[in-house]
Amino acid sequence: MKFNNKITPYLLVSPYIIHFLVFVAFPVVFSIVLTFHKWNIISPMEYTGLSNYIRLFKDAVFLQSLINTLIFLVIHIPLQIIVALFLAEVLNQKIKFRGFFRAAFFLPVIVSGVVVTILWQQLYGFDTGLLNRILVSIGLDKIGWLTDPNVAMPSIALMATWKNVGLYIVLFLVGLQTVPEQYYEAADMEGASKWQKFFKITLPMINPTIFMVVILSTIGGFSLFIEPYIMTGGGPLNSTISAVLYIYKQGFFYYHMGYSATLGFFFALIILLVIVIQKRFVERDI
Amino acid sequence: MKLKFLSSVIIIFAVVLMTGCGNSRSDKNTLTYWSSNNSYEIKFADYITKKWNSNDSVKISFQPVPEGQSSEEVILAAVVGETTPDIYSNMWQGDVEVYADAGILVPLDTLDGFMEFIYDRCDSLVVEEITSADGHIYQIPWKINPIMLIYNESIIENLQLDTVPGTYSQFTDAAEKFKKDIDGDGYIDRWFGYAEVQVTWWQRFFDFYPLYLAATGGGKLIENNQAAFNNEHAIAVFRFLRNLYANKYFAMERLSARQDVFLSGTIATRFTGPWEISHSEKYKPEGFNYNFNHIPVPDDHVGPIYTYADPKNIVIFNTCKHPETAWKFLKEMINEKNDLKLLEISNQLPRRKEIDVNPLFSEYFKANPKMKKFAAQAKYVKGTDASPVLKEVFDLISQQYESCVVYRMKSPEQAIQDAADAVNLLFLE
Repeated sequence: MKFNNKITPYLLVSPYIIHFLVFVAFPVVFSIVLTFHKWNIISPMEYTGLSNYIRLFKDAVFLQSLINTLIFLVIHIPLQIIVALFLAEVLNQKIKFRGFFRAAFFLPVIVSGVVVTILWQQLYGFDTGLLNRILVSIGLDKIGWLTDPNVAMPSIALMATWKNVGLYIVLFLVGLQTVPEQYYEAADMEGASKWQKFFKITLPMINPTIFMVVILSTIGGFSLFIEPYIMTGGGPLNSTISAVLYIYKQGFFYYHMGYSATLGFFFALIILLVIVIQKRFVERDI
Repeated sequence: MKLKFLSSVIIIFAVVLMTGCGNSRSDKNTLTYWSSNNSYEIKFADYITKKWNSNDSVKISFQPVPEGQSSEEVILAAVVGETTPDIYSNMWQGDVEVYADAGILVPLDTLDGFMEFIYDRCDSLVVEEITSADGHIYQIPWKINPIMLIYNESIIENLQLDTVPGTYSQFTDAAEKFKKDIDGDGYIDRWFGYAEVQVTWWQRFFDFYPLYLAATGGGKLIENNQAAFNNEHAIAVFRFLRNLYANKYFAMERLSARQDVFLSGTIATRFTGPWEISHSEKYKPEGFNYNFNHIPVPDDHVGPIYTYADPKNIVIFNTCKHPETAWKFLKEMINEKNDLKLLEISNQLPRRKEIDVNPLFSEYFKANPKMKKFAAQAKYVKGTDASPVLKEVFDLISQQYESCVVYRMKSPEQAIQDAADAVNLLFLE
């Protein structure tokens, strides 16, 4: 049987093309169109020109949500890198039960985000939470982990770090194992200290891994949603409302689809900008 | 050959996809009815549809509302996908105006005999409450769960109070006597009451809103597309609630994940609905006694004490091919006898005037004396104002609630003013 050479290639790529058109191209174009409209899904769209963009620049809660996301990133990314790198370094040594520890640190990564969030909600409880019980037992004051507006976002960042650190440990382990042993042997012969070897050999050699971890953590951090959605609902006093949570609320709580699309579009531009900046500076300087 | 096979697979896939996404309602002589998905209402809907189908030529096909994050989301998805049922009986009153605005509900007042029926069932205030801004009625008031104050009888007796706390000062005096640091760690761990501090808009149905309705005698939040709550009563409610948190009479921590804090005596009171009865009867420890009282009111309050009704109503979507038959079915479904059946099966009050003195219901209330309190309260309940932006209004109030009541960052006067300004801005947009 002969193939029709003109049609067959198109037919073979058509599943991907259809998927791309329906689930990527159409939503993107439709979202951009939506930014110029008011639409609550059930009533016809109403053209509103640039009003959604004007509203965006006056929206104090959106600004707050961007600041909250930034606070999360500032705490989460360095913490993630430091903890993951430290643990990877330890787990790269020939220690007892190394396999067990590697698996144990990775376990939270494969547990559902909702389950982890509910677990930490119990740990963070003011009166009954384990953390406050420990604090009281050693004579310290209780902390409003999720009820104090100044502490709630750092608490969420801490939890997110615990959840994701296993993945980055694996990445760093791979990075560490690619550093040639001869470099360390040469440094030993020159009398370099452990710290010197770490800063002069290890860090520069795992630069690509660090860059990847920064990019992945940043993208993950920008998409912060489940944790504040379940644990705090964005409170107290909007201190944990992330940009994605706010976009979701506008879209699916209040059905302000046009405004939600505008926020999403603007937020995507911010992410793009940050990634470009990171690529220019992080890749070069580390 | 291979090409033919590939083409056939794609065509079959497309056909399956298209038929799967289409509206499955093909039988023109069958009406689809979605009920709530709680087991009691499923039982009632099953009973009522079976009874109807045995007599009428137009059949009713019943199913609980499909599973989703919330029934509101499911209905919205059905509207968008044009797969709405003909009849839906779990519509929150606050959502009706949005759907009415979009023109997807049948104006029930245009159906034969509707107005006579509705005035026979409800008093004129209820009819006014369910009338939309365009003057039509798109919903049938079906059932309510009035919010009242549940209290632990033994605790209230032990506090040696003259009366069950019913005013703001009685409530705070009792709370002062009851709150305690039991384990001596310097933190209160026994509170007089509890309400969720989360900013989620509907949480205000269980604290601010019933207290506001009680203080104002069923006052409005919105009137003529403007905030109507910028008044002394709303300020007094905020001040009262703020006092409860400031003095640690109410817990600021979320207690909902624990063992039931009311039944375990960690709290003495809670704002709740009649669903608490079946729960408490099932899980209460031996010797535990509880009762219900009206929502607290300002000390100088005179007149009837209102509360939030938590109403769930019935609508007919305009995709319905036989609205008159649907209406005929609904008249049957919510007649007196079937209202009694609903009450017996689900312990939810039909929204029917003078239900507490109606002889048909007297046996039920004799057997369920605690429900009688809710039936008496049912004379003074209110649902929500008719507005397509009601969720936003509650959300804006909730933001200020958190700021003023929970975290005391604003005075009650300022918080109410800010909420009213934000609501007014909402109507200007």
